[in-house]
Amino acid sequence: MTEKISRRDFLRLGAAGAATGVLAGCTSPRRWVVLEPFVRPPEQQVSGVATWYATTCRQCPAGCGVIVRLMNGRAVKLEGNPEHPLNRGKLCARGQAGLQMLYHPDRLSGPLLQSTRGSREFSAIDWNEGINRLFQALEKAGPAVAVFGGATMSDHLFDLFSRLLAAVDAPAPVIYDLYTELGGYRMLAQAMGQVYGRAALPAYRLAEADVVFSFGAEFLGTWTSAVRYGVEYGAFRSQPYGKRGLLVHFEPRQSSTAVTADDYVAIAPGSEGLVAGALLRIIADGNLGLPGRAESARGLAPSLDVDQAARESGIPLEALQRWARRFAEAERAVAIPGGALAGSSNGMLAARAIEALNVVSGSAPAGVNTTPPDLGLARKSLNTFADVQSLIARMRAGEVQVLLIHSTNPAYELPAAAGFLEALAQVPLVVSFGPIVDETAVWSDLILPDRSYLESFGYEVVSPDFGSPVVSSQQPVVTPVFDARATGDVLLTVARGIPAAAAAMPWGDEVDYLNQMVAGLPEAAYPASTPEEKRARFQQHGGWWPAPAAAAPALRPQPFTVTAQRAAFDGNETDYPYFLHVYPSVLLSDGRGASLPLLQGVPDPMTTIAWQSWVELHPATAGRLEIRDGDLLRVTSPHGEIVAAAYVTPGIRPDTVAIPAGQGHQDLGRYARDRGSNVVQLLGAALTDEGGGLRWNGVRVALARTGKRIATASLESKVGVTEGLGYE
Amino acid sequence: MFSSLWWRVGRFVRTSPARLFLLAGVVVAGALALSGSAAPAGTTQPMAFNHQVMVQAGVQCLFCHNDALRSPSPGMPSVGLCMGCHKTIAAERPAIKQLADYYARGEPIPWARVNYVPRFVYFSHKVHLTAGGLNCENCHGDVGHMKEVEPVARMSMGWCLDCHSKQTNAPQLRDCVICHR
Repeated sequence: MTEKISRRDFLRLGAAGAATGVLAGCTSPRRWVVLEPFVRPPEQQVSGVATWYATTCRQCPAGCGVIVRLMNGRAVKLEGNPEHPLNRGKLCARGQAGLQMLYHPDRLSGPLLQSTRGSREFSAIDWNEGINRLFQALEKAGPAVAVFGGATMSDHLFDLFSRLLAAVDAPAPVIYDLYTELGGYRMLAQAMGQVYGRAALPAYRLAEADVVFSFGAEFLGTWTSAVRYGVEYGAFRSQPYGKRGLLVHFEPRQSSTAVTADDYVAIAPGSEGLVAGALLRIIADGNLGLPGRAESARGLAPSLDVDQAARESGIPLEALQRWARRFAEAERAVAIPGGALAGSSNGMLAARAIEALNVVSGSAPAGVNTTPPDLGLARKSLNTFADVQSLIARMRAGEVQVLLIHSTNPAYELPAAAGFLEALAQVPLVVSFGPIVDETAVWSDLILPDRSYLESFGYEVVSPDFGSPVVSSQQPVVTPVFDARATGDVLLTVARGIPAAAAAMPWGDEVDYLNQMVAGLPEAAYPASTPEEKRARFQQHGGWWPAPAAAAPALRPQPFTVTAQRAAFDGNETDYPYFLHVYPSVLLSDGRGASLPLLQGVPDPMTTIAWQSWVELHPATAGRLEIRDGDLLRVTSPHGEIVAAAYVTPGIRPDTVAIPAGQGHQDLGRYARDRGSNVVQLLGAALTDEGGGLRWNGVRVALARTGKRIATASLESKVGVTEGLGYE
Repeated sequence: MFSSLWWRVGRFVRTSPARLFLLAGVVVAGALALSGSAAPAGTTQPMAFNHQVMVQAGVQCLFCHNDALRSPSPGMPSVGLCMGCHKTIAAERPAIKQLADYYARGEPIPWARVNYVPRFVYFSHKVHLTAGGLNCENCHGDVGHMKEVEPVARMSMGWCLDCHSKQTNAPQLRDCVICHR
């Protein structure tokens, strides 16, 4: 082998090899295509012909209807259900990623037992043993049982959990997750209760609005029902006779909704309520707008100095006056409270001030100003962070013997200061129902994996419902891929051994339960006479909704007061010079999407970064600190610190830095693990002034370079945006 | 040798750029010719399956390939369908024991494909059997007398057109998009 190969010979050999490869590749695939028939064929499938099933998306709590395309018994594509009144055939990227949840390689294939919490050393057990362990613990615990759930838990499962807890005299389930906290679901519902008398999530009808003022609501990205708002927004911008609605967006950081606005105003963090109060004051004092508006505003406008409000919020007074006039003179003007104000110390005050603008313009949101029909179905009610603190206190005091965790990941989502993990140590048995081992399951003793939502039964009473009640149905569209078991069936099995629970939960399985519930629904928009037909149509159409009817008479707003002030922030300005603006990722949500490679790989719409965490900061800030794109920054708050890459953008205030939630997982599967940083680590566990919410928009931070730099996985070139303009 | 060949090819193309298309056409045609399905199967199936015995026993094609009348795909019988009869019929035969093993293990039988139409051709069994009025043997031959099934025709475009071009009452069958959608 001492003979040398000349360059020419090498090229000849290479060319000959390539030619052989090409010719080999051209041979008939008959030789290597294998036909694998089913062993036991799935029902109602014709090979080569697609079958479609309707069910409900569970990637966020909105409850959009989806239809799933099946080929040869396998789910291959999700689409929006065109018949569903909420999303009307549309579906977002998170919804599309549902198939990756179904086929995720890290999904658990059966129950697991962990002998030492946190060890990540699990041993597989069979389902009988898993259910027996749960039953024995529940039998022994009596009322010392707690359920910690998330907002994507199906309503039927919430009902079964509630019945089990009520039967053993335990407190009701606590439903809380970071996604609904960042969306302000609970806080907004409380504010609506104060204004209109019905505490429910508001739904703003944009389709016919002339002017929309959005106070930080990212309604085209993540806020409450983003897909439906996308439909509303399309109609809002292309109204009959060429009319185009005007959108003004107030937020410290330019979100994907802000970039679509006609006017984007980078207001000072925590000043949303102050701006709304000033607008009311200007309308009242200037006697602006259509008849009756100024009188209405005079009854609600807080006493404030408009000049000072303009200075504090960072808006020129003239602009404020112009917008106040525009809002007051528009026939249909809508103001949307959302985004970061939900986590501000004054969130409730701000939401009320913004809602007062709707009272002035007579644009009460749907869903809160009428009394809904009684459907006879249980539905989740979200809890506050204060309720979570009470649960943690009970755990710490040894009052919880068994903790059941479903659809939420508190070990990742709660700030360290909440003390969840310390309290967990006092609970003798922690059971997780997660389909993938997440940060909370790592601190559990027993994992009884639930099925993916495309393999499960259930229903969801849609909230917000945009004026007409909707119940989305959930049904298995495929034969379960893994040996997971429906949590509803696990609960019903366990309940049979507990006499009080057996009486409260008399169903053989969850399908029995659902059949009974659906049979009691009123007349639907589609014809269905017998109970059997009702059940079949409920699943075939993707849910229940009534035929369009005249709107119920609107409830009159209750008397309420408006106070306008700026929110408080932890940390002094010298040590922590920048406001921290936290927002849910359009793709990863609060972190639950991080397990799916599709959502990790799709570039963020504003920064085009994928697979990473980043800190958005203004070019002036970056210039002062000599920071370039990709510099790894240490972000420090009074509560903790994280490291993330810098992303310099003009779409943010110079006194603010923004970090999306979602990355920084230690678990949750191979695609999420050890990637980026968790912004929750910068937050404290303080409560908002009213409503018991987590004050997540109330922290100041300091920035420092670590001296390291990474190349961000980004699609965009910044030449002409922030580079080449003299900022460097 | 190779370098001079490349140089000649380069000169061939450079003298008239239109020749590039000619060259590309020759390459594609060669590749397509090689990818045809005329070659005899020469496959080794994972287990002995005798179509002749099945047909002689009175089992119709559509009993096993039961999607052919309602789908583009004829459907391959599931292992469960085979076992529906063979739990009792000829259960002691070695091949049937092999079948029962697959069923017990929950594994599909990895059949080697016999007839092949390229992916860029749209072909529907349903249309040929219903509107076309054909029988299975028109394309697949007398499978009822084959111990191991082999292709009887090279399913090339010319073979398809032999029949399509004769359908004078349906000129649309000679349209490219009828198969190349």
